[in-house]
Amino acid sequence: MTGPTQPPQPDDPSPDDRPPPSDGPPSFEAPAVDPSPVGSPPGGGGWDPGTLPAPAPVTSRRLSPKVLLIDPVRMLPSLLLPLAGVLVVGGFSGRSYLWAALGLVGTVVFAVIRWLTFTYDFAGDRLEIKRSLISRSVRTIPLERVRGVDVSTPPMHRLLGLAVLKIDTGASGGDGEATLDGVTLGEAERLRPILLRRARAAGVEVEDVTPEVAPSPGQGADADVIVAVPRTWLLYGPLSGAYLLTPFALAGGAIGLAFQWGDEFGLGRDAALTAGEWLWERPSLLVAAAVLLVVAMPFVGGVMYAVFNWNFRLNRRDGYLVAERGLINRRSVSLESRRVRGYEIVEGLAERWAGVARAWAIVTGLGDSETRGQLLPVVPRHVALSVTGDAIGPYEAEVRPHPPIARNRRLFRAIAPWLVLAAVAAALIWATGSPLWWVLLVLSLLLAAVGVPLGIDRYHSLGHGYDGVRVTVRSGSLRRAQAVVERRAVVGWRLRQTWFQRRAGVLTMITGVGAGKGGYSAIDVSEAQATAFPAEVTPEWLAPFLKT
Amino acid sequence: MSSGPLRDPANRVSPKARGLWLLEALIGFVLLIGGSILVGGWVGGSGWSWVPDWFAARPWALPVAVGVLTTPFLVAEPFVRYRVHRWELSGDVLYARQGFLTREWVFVPVSRIQTVDKEQGWLERMLGLATLEVRTASHAGSSTIKGLDYLVAAGLAEGLAQRAEQLRDDAT
Repeated sequence: MTGPTQPPQPDDPSPDDRPPPSDGPPSFEAPAVDPSPVGSPPGGGGWDPGTLPAPAPVTSRRLSPKVLLIDPVRMLPSLLLPLAGVLVVGGFSGRSYLWAALGLVGTVVFAVIRWLTFTYDFAGDRLEIKRSLISRSVRTIPLERVRGVDVSTPPMHRLLGLAVLKIDTGASGGDGEATLDGVTLGEAERLRPILLRRARAAGVEVEDVTPEVAPSPGQGADADVIVAVPRTWLLYGPLSGAYLLTPFALAGGAIGLAFQWGDEFGLGRDAALTAGEWLWERPSLLVAAAVLLVVAMPFVGGVMYAVFNWNFRLNRRDGYLVAERGLINRRSVSLESRRVRGYEIVEGLAERWAGVARAWAIVTGLGDSETRGQLLPVVPRHVALSVTGDAIGPYEAEVRPHPPIARNRRLFRAIAPWLVLAAVAAALIWATGSPLWWVLLVLSLLLAAVGVPLGIDRYHSLGHGYDGVRVTVRSGSLRRAQAVVERRAVVGWRLRQTWFQRRAGVLTMITGVGAGKGGYSAIDVSEAQATAFPAEVTPEWLAPFLKT
Repeated sequence: MSSGPLRDPANRVSPKARGLWLLEALIGFVLLIGGSILVGGWVGGSGWSWVPDWFAARPWALPVAVGVLTTPFLVAEPFVRYRVHRWELSGDVLYARQGFLTREWVFVPVSRIQTVDKEQGWLERMLGLATLEVRTASHAGSSTIKGLDYLVAAGLAEGLAQRAEQLRDDAT
């Protein structure tokens, strides 16, 4: 399949052995592949080929050639400094210009060859991704293994009408997903239903969608909007605490960049140190900068939040939950409904005060679930409850409180460390008499005082429950999280009792779930609850071990 | 949770497991004492201003203190563990209890088991013991039973793997 020449290492500095761009690219004309879409016999417990749309004609496809416009630009930052270095060191002579030009040409040639040697096609019920730039590799992804498709459009791609398509195969490790970086939007829309439809059809159960509906390229006629988050709700963003540290990260990044570039252009550290000293002698300027950064926190954080969560929509399409969001990088993540086992509702302290919450899906075998699993950005709590209830399933029972001894333990944990610190500070005051320790003493006493309402609130957050279909577990105060998981996703129970818990007569009851975090802990349940609850949810598992 | 409604799992681990725990604890003990001798010598001989004179004069005090504090645990651990560690397989559910200071009870239904491994470290091989590892899709629903007699572990692993295949339930 490959041409006669092996393309050179891209970063090979020697220009002599680099082939001219016209050097025969490896030929990738459509190989003859069996066009029959289905290999498995019908009715064999697998998927029924009759209900599937025939896959696209089997031909090797390349990424859109427009990606060639992106590649060199993307490489520019990493290339710029070496190029500038060559020019500076070479003293802007004709020879150094030649080297720099060769470097540029090399980058473009590399991008072209990479584009030419990267192909993908559907062979039967598999997606094959072939790469033969340096070493030849064929990656075969059986379509029934596809767990989700993540389409995103970073800014450059968006300008050119391209998208990045990530295919989550649920495999663990870095090989868990395949990436097609730079397909046209139309191609992404064409691929998505093919990839997802097969995966869904391969499953045991097919839910709520008639499989005869042809996948319509474009928006998909069978898309069903569950929720479209109005823009005014973006104002809730800063309450979540997300991106609040952005101003500091930006400032730090700017300083780092200044150092790096300063070095590159021979300004050196002396100049930077001089600048630092100059600043140090003007503390008012420093304080002003710090205040400015702090004041900027909610604004910059809010803007970042809005950029990432712009026009958030949750759709139901073809047995998938599809979450779309983003202003500049429009991202769309498809979660297979069949693999969704529950959801987690998260509220920070400020969010609870405002009555808003966020939600994540609990999905089996989802890589990068923290970003992919997001079902809802910050929305009013009742919306979060109704949307998760509608899209996945409601939890319809009360959350049972934990025994009062749990409150004492929460309080002890919230207060005692600060009291110990206060005692240490008092001892140091007595030993040294230095007024500095008074600051520590007052601070730790203040934190201990704050610990009282915090501990009580933590206790009120604790809870667990079961409504006959779903199990729920809740904990946390500064970040309260309530997980709701289907009973069938429970794979085991683990009860854990530390020495202190044994003295107090409580346990931590961990519900083992084959999805999401893997286990959800109900902290400090009573000994009676720790046995009664698993016995209530999965009576057949516990029955053999209960005293009669 | 001795008086709760749960009964103890039926089977103890092999009596030889006490030897295993004792050996493991001894290795840890030797490392700890060696480390504290080094630290005591280093801090005592450093001449730093915050080091009290009585300590600088007796750098062996640290390893002695560490030894006195840890010896009761060293002696008690094998016997406590042997009392606590138990397992039982009935009704297609594996029920195991383990722990020393922190205790754990694990219930793993055979229908959710994904892999069954038996492992032997060099100490275990010396004593003819094995560790059974039962994995499900969740770390919280997975169980490790240490200190089983090798033949018991092999039989249990074989039986669990076969039964798991028959019962395979892929809801997860």
